[in-house]
Order: sequence, then structure tokens, then C-alpha cells
Amino acid sequence: MAFVQKPQVYKSAINTVELGVSDNKITLGGATVSPLYSFDAPIANAPKVGVEITDLGLEGEPKGIVDYYGDCKTIGEQAKKAAAMPGADFVCLRFVGAEPGEGDRSVEECVKIAKEVSEAIDIPLVIAGCKSSQKDAQIFEKIAEALSGKNVLFLSAKEENYKTVGASVGLAYSQKVGAESSVDINLAKQLNVLLTQLGVAKENIIMNLGSAAAGYGFEYVASTIDRVKQAALAQNDAMLQMPVVTPIASETWVVKEALASEEDMPEWGCQEQRGIEMEIVTAAACLACGSDAVILKHPASVATISAMVAALM
Amino acid sequence: MASFVTIGERIHCISPVIREAMEKMNPEPILKRAKEQIDAGATYLDVNIGPAESTGVELMKWAVQLLQENFDNVPLCLDTANAKAIEAGISVYNRAKGKPIVNSADAGDRIGNIDLAAANDAICFALCSKDGVPADNDERMAYCQEMLERGMMLGMDPADLWFDPLFLVIKGMQEKQMEVLECIKMLSDMGLNTTGGLSNISNGMPKHIRPIIDSAMVAMAMQCGLTSAIVNPCDLRLMETIKSCDIIKNNTLYADSYLEI
Repeated sequence: MAFVQKPQVYKSAINTVELGVSDNKITLGGATVSPLYSFDAPIANAPKVGVEITDLGLEGEPKGIVDYYGDCKTIGEQAKKAAAMPGADFVCLRFVGAEPGEGDRSVEECVKIAKEVSEAIDIPLVIAGCKSSQKDAQIFEKIAEALSGKNVLFLSAKEENYKTVGASVGLAYSQKVGAESSVDINLAKQLNVLLTQLGVAKENIIMNLGSAAAGYGFEYVASTIDRVKQAALAQNDAMLQMPVVTPIASETWVVKEALASEEDMPEWGCQEQRGIEMEIVTAAACLACGSDAVILKHPASVATISAMVAALM
Repeated sequence: MASFVTIGERIHCISPVIREAMEKMNPEPILKRAKEQIDAGATYLDVNIGPAESTGVELMKWAVQLLQENFDNVPLCLDTANAKAIEAGISVYNRAKGKPIVNSADAGDRIGNIDLAAANDAICFALCSKDGVPADNDERMAYCQEMLERGMMLGMDPADLWFDPLFLVIKGMQEKQMEVLECIKMLSDMGLNTTGGLSNISNGMPKHIRPIIDSAMVAMAMQCGLTSAIVNPCDLRLMETIKSCDIIKNNTLYADSYLEI
């Protein structure tokens, strides 16, 4: 007897969330099938790939990245080049230097940088903060105001600052709010409930469920994303149907596989290649679990992951 | 894995206010009760128009359209002994939020309602009884088998037959309660969906006692596998118990605010 395929299509769907404006906007979410299961039903919007740059410019970046950006002198030039990277769907600007222990860049300076980057690119922008929730709340408010109308995603509102971030980013300036829960599945749902109760529309919320490099607790990330997708699709849980964005570069380039020099670890081979591979395997695994977008930084990783997504859609 | 389905019981022609509203086709009292129940967390609303022998067709159509137009196509359970009225209700029913439920069939005179549900791609409540209260679980399961086979012969998905073991009033039939729970367990072990008129157990008890005993019963029944019930969703204690049991059963993911959503 011939095999009869029974497509597993859910009655529920992941919310669709738009980033950016007019011709250059992108849409995340919309799936009614398990992650990447395009053989069960067409996936409305393919997962997206973001390119991360930081306010510290090219300081300390691996050679392949420095080479790619070549002689970019300003953050604006660098942003433009990031947007032009083959496979890039959006640019993520991370304010590493806003952290009080990392230079404590002033709010005014952060706003200036954000505006410069926003003006330089013609694809959607994502703003990521630093390690301080308090500082994030301050810079997000002013950047959300300065980039009003640009439909920017802010990563992220956390348990400690969701009220201020939700009120400014989500309510006052109608930008998109990322809800970050650091691999805590119950907090993931709770933050969505709290932001919704605050008045932020479900269509303006994206989840950052947290991430970890493969081999560094990744199994918790995988099971968290997996359970969230099950709740969203199989259990029709409206408080978990927000699309998921997973920052990858900020996790994978800081582990020893990417940091150990070839002098220290000759048997591990080329240092930069190790970093690229960590970035690729982690991103691929997150997409397989259900991330609707991943954020990378190396041109080789961006090319590989965007090609993988294209081949699977 | 799916969360418990609560079916609001408060649009019922036994209530004098609702009976009068149905007689005069006055929307206000019906809409008010519908809103209260939806706000309290009911998934489905039961629409009991009584036997309605002469006016049933018109009345059920009117009620279905009234409720679905005002409450975003809220899914409904069409509750009457008048089969023509159920069919008429389904003919104007919008399925966007869920299939209509035929309330109800049994293994006796009302077995034809399974045919009605099958012909209309509806869910059907199937009472495990023929005439009166079944003597024991052997009898209940025999009726279950009979109705299941009939539905499947007609091409129904077994998941669309929701079996009702018949909840019995505690005051008078206290010794039968564990048997009902065991029946739910047996139906659940067969992978079947189950339902029932839960409030029946506390009939005749003082008003302040009913939420307590209903909550205890729903928790025990959910442990046995009960997947839905016709209840008073405005009973806060009961609804909190159902939500909590859904958490313990991993039917819904826990969040600190789970009682508020």
C-alpha cells in the first residue's frame, strides 16, 4: 500500500510581527507547523538572519570580520556594510559599551550612534542592550523616542525592567518589545502576561528565550524553545505564540572554543574557523527547535545559515 | 495534553429570566449571561432551549446567531430534545472557533443524535445510559461501545464523541460516586474524550457548600482523565481548581499569573 502522508498542521499559529517600515519591512512568525516542517504546510515567513555589530566597532573582532568591513571608518559605514552582507535580513546594533563596567557610554552618545546606524541602513534594525537592566531601560527609552516610526525591535525587556521598557518602547513609541527570559520557560510566559497586562499588544512582542553556545547548556535552550512551540501550536497558548528571536553571536564567540589561541590549542586547528563553526551549529540547532530569527556576526556564518534556510523552505 | 474544556451552563430555560427571554426573544438577559460566563473563562456556552417542540427551530437559529455575532463566534453546545432545532442551529453556526456540540445522544431513544452529529460534522455528547441511571459500569461501558461503533460506522472521528458517565447527585447516591470516577478512568484509558453535568453532584446542598464539593469532584475527575464538563464558570473556586489541575497535568504551561489568564 502506498504511503499516505498525513500533514501535521496545527489550528493555532505563531503570531506575525513586522519589523521595519514600508518596502523594507520583514515579517517574523506565522507558522502553523513544527519548526522548518515546510513539507507539512507552507511556512508563511522563512526564519530570518540578523547581522550583529556593536558600538565598540571592530575592536577585538576576528580577522574575517575585520577584513569584511575593510576600511569602514564610522559606525554608519559599518552598519551599511552589515546590511549589505549576503544573507542579511536585518541589522542588530548591540550596545556593549553602555555597560557601566565597560565604559558606561552615555545615553546621549548611544542615541547618536543608533541614529547614525538607522540612517545608514535600508533594512530593519534591532537594538540590543548591555548587561545592565537599569542602563538598558534608560538607553532604550531615548533610542525608542529618537527612532520613532522606524518600527525597531528592542532586546530586551527583562523581569527587572519590563515595566519601564514596556511603557516606553512598547506603549509610548509603539516599537517592538523583546521579552527576555534566560532559559526560564515559566518566566517566558509570565513576562508575556505582564507585558500584555501593561497594555503592550501581543503583535508587538517578540520572545528572546535566551541562548547558549552548543555544549554550554544548550540542551536547556533546546527543550525550552521546543516546549514553548508545543504550547503555542498544540495547546493554543496565546501567551506563548509570540515569535522567537535568538541572539547567537554574543554567546558563541565568548566560549573557549572560539577564544583559545592556536598556540595554546594547536590540536584544535584554526581559531577563527572554530568560532564560525560554533556560530553555525548553534544557530542551525536553534532554528531546528523553533527560533524565528537568529543573530550572527561572521559573514561565513550568515552565508551558511541563510543558505540553509533557503534550501529548507 | 489539551487543556480542560469548560462549557458554561447558565443559558438554560429552567432559569425564569432566561425562559422569559427565550419566549419573548429578548436578547438582553441572554447576552448578559453569555458575557458573564465568557469573562469568567468558559470555552463553550451551552444553549438549553428546553424541549421547544413548536418554536425550537426558530429559537435555536436566533440564539446561535445572537451569541456568535455578539461574542466573536463563541463555540456553542446546542442543548434540546428537539433534533430539528439542533439541525437548524447548526445550519447558521460559524465554526471559526470550534465545531458545534450536539447535546445530547444516549444509547436509547436519542441515539439518532449521533447520526445527526455525523451528518453535520459536529461533536456529540454521548450519555452512557439507555433509560434512567445505569446500574453499574459494565452497563455504562456497553452503552459506550454501542455509541462508539455507531459513530465510527458513520465516519465520525472518535474524538468527536464526548462520553458522559452521568454524574450523580451525592445526596441520595453517595455510594455511587467512586463508580462514576472509575468509569471516567476506563473511558480515558480507551483514549476517549469525556464530559458531564458536574454541578449535578451538589444538587440540594447549601449554596456555600456547592463550590467546595464541585471543585473537589472536578479535581478527582480530572485525575481520572475527564476532558471537559458542563459547569457554572462564574464559580471562581471551581475555575481556579480547573486551571490548577491543568497546570499539574501539564495541559497548560505554568506562569505566576496563570489564574489571571
